[in-house]
Amino acid sequence: MRLALYVTCLVDLMRPSVGFAALRLLEATGAEVVVPEGQTCCGQPAWNAGNRPLAVDLAKKAMGELEGYDYVVIPSGSCTDQIRNVYPRLLADYPDWGSRAQALAGRVYELTSFLADVAKVDFDSPEFAGSVSYHDSCKGLRGLGIKRQPRELLLKVRGLSLKEMPDCEECCGFGGAFSVTFGEVSTQIVDRKCDSIAAAGADVVVGGDLGCLINIEGRLRRRGDETTRVLHIAEVLGGEGC
Amino acid sequence: MATASRSQAMHFHARAGEKLRNAGLQRALQKAKPLFVGKRAKGIAALAEDGLDFEMLRSTGKNIRNRTLADLDVWLDLFEERATAAGADVLWARDGAEVSRLVVDIARRHGVSKVAKSKSMLSEEAQLNEALADADIRPVETDLGEYIVQLAGEAPSHIIAPAVHKTISEVEALFAKEHGRPLETRTSADIPAMAQEARAVLREHFLSAGMGISGANFLIAETGSAALVTNEGNGRMVTTLPKIHVVITGIEKIVPTLEDFATLMRLLPRSATGQSISNYVSLLTGTKREGDHDGPEKTVFILVDNGRADLLGSDYQDMLRCIRCGACMNHCPVYFSLGGHAYGWVYPGPMGSVLTPLLTGIENALDLPHASTGCNQCGAVCPVDIPLPTLMHRLREEQNERRLRPWSERLALKIWAWLAGKPALYRWFARRAVRYLNWLADGSGRIRIFGLAPEWTAGRDLPVSSGRTFHELYSARKKT
Repeated sequence: MRLALYVTCLVDLMRPSVGFAALRLLEATGAEVVVPEGQTCCGQPAWNAGNRPLAVDLAKKAMGELEGYDYVVIPSGSCTDQIRNVYPRLLADYPDWGSRAQALAGRVYELTSFLADVAKVDFDSPEFAGSVSYHDSCKGLRGLGIKRQPRELLLKVRGLSLKEMPDCEECCGFGGAFSVTFGEVSTQIVDRKCDSIAAAGADVVVGGDLGCLINIEGRLRRRGDETTRVLHIAEVLGGEGC
Repeated sequence: MATASRSQAMHFHARAGEKLRNAGLQRALQKAKPLFVGKRAKGIAALAEDGLDFEMLRSTGKNIRNRTLADLDVWLDLFEERATAAGADVLWARDGAEVSRLVVDIARRHGVSKVAKSKSMLSEEAQLNEALADADIRPVETDLGEYIVQLAGEAPSHIIAPAVHKTISEVEALFAKEHGRPLETRTSADIPAMAQEARAVLREHFLSAGMGISGANFLIAETGSAALVTNEGNGRMVTTLPKIHVVITGIEKIVPTLEDFATLMRLLPRSATGQSISNYVSLLTGTKREGDHDGPEKTVFILVDNGRADLLGSDYQDMLRCIRCGACMNHCPVYFSLGGHAYGWVYPGPMGSVLTPLLTGIENALDLPHASTGCNQCGAVCPVDIPLPTLMHRLREEQNERRLRPWSERLALKIWAWLAGKPALYRWFARRAVRYLNWLADGSGRIRIFGLAPEWTAGRDLPVSSGRTFHELYSARKKT
């Protein structure tokens, strides 16, 4: 089995450790893992801004890099949603590209759903002493139906206990450009998320999308919470964040 | 688009800050949200007791609405025929101004000086209360929430809970002043007493109004009836006591049959308030007949377009399925941060972010389609499966197509996309960017003030990496 790891632009820039943790987890499945060269961004910022021509250009570019593998795995619900659910719509009217996008969509997986549903590997997870609370990111949950998989995987980690936060399915207020253009509103929304996190009382907040996590960590620290750790699920499962 | 001038939707961004700093508003919203969400969740869960499944029901509801919209003209013609046969008049209004003209005209011809109103968002679209007041006809809102906002000189901030933005003490102060009595200290336990107080005032109005105006939750084509779904009973008073009853509603509110109505009624109250059925459901057909104890002597339906027909066959037709339950705003993180007034026009929340630009002009509500995190909590709860984020996204695209986005945003995206298309150059810039971020963080791992994204760091730190990109570290690792 030959896998492509699409690390995402945010992981590249903001937290490389997520990429390496994902790499280690995927290699542990026994598959050959390739990090396709030339990968930059799936084009979501252009798409969200309503700029279709730019989104199309970047979609075509990304497809060129991601075709030809058995699976493409991405440590992000929102980038996976973009390639899986948006690309086929975006490229539907371009001869040949539409069917290629459809074909690719069926092979693109968010990291936890790949590990739990496709690879089904009982990987040798490291110990992780502490309690974690999982934040369901919107695109992963409502776009891809990911809910059970991350929890299933977390519970396999020795020493880890799960403490659900109230309203774990509620948006953290990130929303890409929204967090910058409507920064104050975004802050208000993430503040409620931080209240939920505080109510859960876990040592670590875990999620599957780095955008949400940076948003949550940034607000927790600004509120003066210096102790609650914020980790990507790849970091917890891959032992990178210990 | 006669209503565009009154819309304040262009000021969404400026108003947002103001609303975030309004402590009373924030308290009111924080209290309301879990109630709305919790009640709906219970109502939907209870469907199982009747052997019903929400997803199946909503797909049936969606089909009913789609089927109706596909032949809207046919059902409207049938409605006109049946309603007329039952003794009502059916009038058509192209826009809000025409609604006001028609209503004022009817009122004048019958010497009406006071109108009792049940809740009607379309009358808000038409600015009917202002038009009536200008014609020396007094409009009295009788829905408790509408009554409160009318006393306060405000607009409704929610389509089913017009005064949700007000705290109990604000309402108490308003009642004391307007009802001419001393101020008391009130808690939520006093709400029934306050409602009783409003009721006593409103009773006089029901009995003395020459005309009643209501909206309609649905129009039923096969019977020529208006269906009214309410909880306070004021709807019944308004539609039966005054001699004239005027129903003002949008042309899209029609459903073919009573059975269709029954299906949608399984979805509407549950999605709105979590009730399996509202306290009152009225089917109003024609006028008072021989032997009837009550009912109007004259019933007039005013069926309003105001931009709706243009949506038929457009990319936005799905929006016409809306049954105005409010579930989208009740589950919207943005709505519950700001309340409805920030949205600047009649309809707030996700459905408003779609409808306001469509009905008042895309160029007059540029912020609204962007006032969303894209979380799709609205789309997930919509009882007729309107893909609200997709429609907002389509509006964003149309803003781009019509060159309505700021040049700075277009340029920034263009440069970024160009760069993202050139991996070698992109890597070079990325390496510089993360070093710059790391330098700004000054060893602390986070940036507290970031000039390139001031709205981010106004309320949050920006956690940064160690100053190396993934791809940089990965190539170094591969070489060793």
